[in-house]
Amino acid sequence: MSALFNSLSKHLLHHQSWAGYWEPVIQCFKPGWREGYFRAQVKHVQVFAEQNVELVLEPEKAWPIHQAGQHIALTIQTDGRLLTRVFTIASEPHMAKQQGQIRLLIRSQEIGAFTSKLTSLKSGQWLNISEPKGQFVMPNTARSLIMLAGGSGITPFIAMLKSIPADSKKTITLLYYAKPNSHWLKDELEQLKQSLSNFDYHLLERSKDGDATTWLTPNAHKHWLVCGPAALYNQAAALAKQLDTPIDSEHFSAVPAVLATSDKHELTLTHQGKTFTIDNQQTLLTHLQANKQPVTVGCGMGICHQCQCVKKQGIVRDIRTGELSDSSEQLIQLCISQPVSDVELSA
Amino acid sequence: MKTTKTVNFEKLAAQLDSVKADVKSKLGEQDAKYIRRVIVCQRVFEWSGRILLMLGFIQPVLWLVGVLSLATAKILDNMEIGHNVMHGQYDWMNDKYINSKSYEWDIACDGASWNRVHNYEHHTYTNIIGKDRDFGYGLLRLSSDFRWRVKNLWQFVTYLLLSVLFQWGVSYHEMAAERVFFGKKKDDRDYKVPHSELKKRFFSKGARQLVKDYLLFPLLAGPLFLWVFTGNLAANLLRNLWTSTIIFCGHFTGEVETFNQQGCENESQGQWYYRQALGSSNIKGGNLFHVMTGHLSYQIEHHLFPDLPAKRYREIAPKVQAIFKEHGIHYNTGGFFRQYFSVVKRIVRYSFP
Repeated sequence: MSALFNSLSKHLLHHQSWAGYWEPVIQCFKPGWREGYFRAQVKHVQVFAEQNVELVLEPEKAWPIHQAGQHIALTIQTDGRLLTRVFTIASEPHMAKQQGQIRLLIRSQEIGAFTSKLTSLKSGQWLNISEPKGQFVMPNTARSLIMLAGGSGITPFIAMLKSIPADSKKTITLLYYAKPNSHWLKDELEQLKQSLSNFDYHLLERSKDGDATTWLTPNAHKHWLVCGPAALYNQAAALAKQLDTPIDSEHFSAVPAVLATSDKHELTLTHQGKTFTIDNQQTLLTHLQANKQPVTVGCGMGICHQCQCVKKQGIVRDIRTGELSDSSEQLIQLCISQPVSDVELSA
Repeated sequence: MKTTKTVNFEKLAAQLDSVKADVKSKLGEQDAKYIRRVIVCQRVFEWSGRILLMLGFIQPVLWLVGVLSLATAKILDNMEIGHNVMHGQYDWMNDKYINSKSYEWDIACDGASWNRVHNYEHHTYTNIIGKDRDFGYGLLRLSSDFRWRVKNLWQFVTYLLLSVLFQWGVSYHEMAAERVFFGKKKDDRDYKVPHSELKKRFFSKGARQLVKDYLLFPLLAGPLFLWVFTGNLAANLLRNLWTSTIIFCGHFTGEVETFNQQGCENESQGQWYYRQALGSSNIKGGNLFHVMTGHLSYQIEHHLFPDLPAKRYREIAPKVQAIFKEHGIHYNTGGFFRQYFSVVKRIVRYSFP
């Protein structure tokens, strides 16, 4: 049915989507309503230690409840602009089921421009969230677990730990790295330790306690879960490979473009019928922005799919995985696609 | 082309740049709300119009109101929403649907094609004879830069016909410019889009428009087919006449100047601004009038700053006028009838050798 309406909308009203066509009208009645997004109402905003923000949201009923460890894309409208960032849900699915609420813990140092806007959110205000995404959830394994968190990377673990049944037997150890005196949620971790007999945690500082290798190496027989900055993850991943240890990870910090080749090549980029000469050292998004092309920009790290578009021809490399695309038509995300050949994008 | 006099181009550029920077720094909530509100109005006018057209059999006045309502919707879509959004004026909002990449308007001309010719060529090479193919739309002789031909004798009639069929004129314009169907093909022209693609866009968008207004919506009305059919025809006609008139008043009043290619090579930002200033003219009017023209009544400001949200032209116009005055540049403005009369005079004047 909606396919029919969208097709009618496209041909008769020149709008890609029927709901999108009515969006500004619907917003008059349902503030913050946006096609393709879920609405969520702000219930509580609190700035805690060092300008970090705790945000409690009440998603609309249709929102599919997350699994502990998953993240959402959060979209707010600020000064007329839509901004999207990705955050891990720092609350357990049970809370979403019982109270209809989710909690986000956001660190302002990393993403200042966005979080400074979050602090001015008012209770009762509507914003948009995506469905829960991501595969970083409690692994189905008989092994004991090591959770390695860096900075704000503690959030998925809080959600996971809070959703563990009290009678669980599996041992879990959390290694939590942060700058001196900036460990989050110390009280909650202590409470968890009290209620879960098989859980223990260590608040670590790199300068004092050494790097993660010291702590991980004796635990090669366990299953590792890592969430934190790329440096922390890279170190753990290399060690896991060496020790043949299973590892799952999530890292949100923007990944720098790592090139297989350091030679600079000139390539051609065709976008909406316009042609540009570009090099292979930047992402397509960077090139398009440098050429002042209209692009919808989102998170800039391959998560929110705002900048997604159809590649008609050419090969691109995913800067996160190094994976090369097909040369045929497919959907790509501009912000994480580095050209490897001449590229043509659809209008 | 008139020779440039004593204008201090560097100062002019700096002053106008600062006007632009000032607006850019203020863009925000207010502008986003405004364009959404205009879209809401457009939706309301369009659907009340379409419904009222079907009620004409109860009372013909309802049909008439329906025509006016639908025409208003089409004008808003064409001018204040379509033209301005496709200029990228609202791209900063990061909105999936309100941006120059995805917007498509309710006229026969394919949006992407228009964007290329209009945004790029017309706004870059404004009024440079041989480069800006807008001048006279190839149909009319509007300056002495063109040789007089016999067909110019009856060009006022051509102009009226163009106005009546304006959306098709705009659509065909690009084909004509690229000489897709006939005419001399220049070897040195850089064809950015293949002719086959241009033809496909021309026919598919045009056909969709015809089917929508003259077949599908009338068929939906069943026995009231003719009421809706003629209503749509009338609404399209009103929109065509209105947009054509506004656009002619913005570009072809008596004092608007043209330029030659040599004079515009390697021009500085200041000289570019200067050319935009002399190549367009404004129309005075009330707020509602400005909205209905898509703020193209501020054609001068639009040509100086094509990607600033158009409603902002109102507040910067006095500043622009003061800057022009300081540099002794003519700020071409006047009431609607004065400007329109000036256009008519120009069309008639160049009908003759």
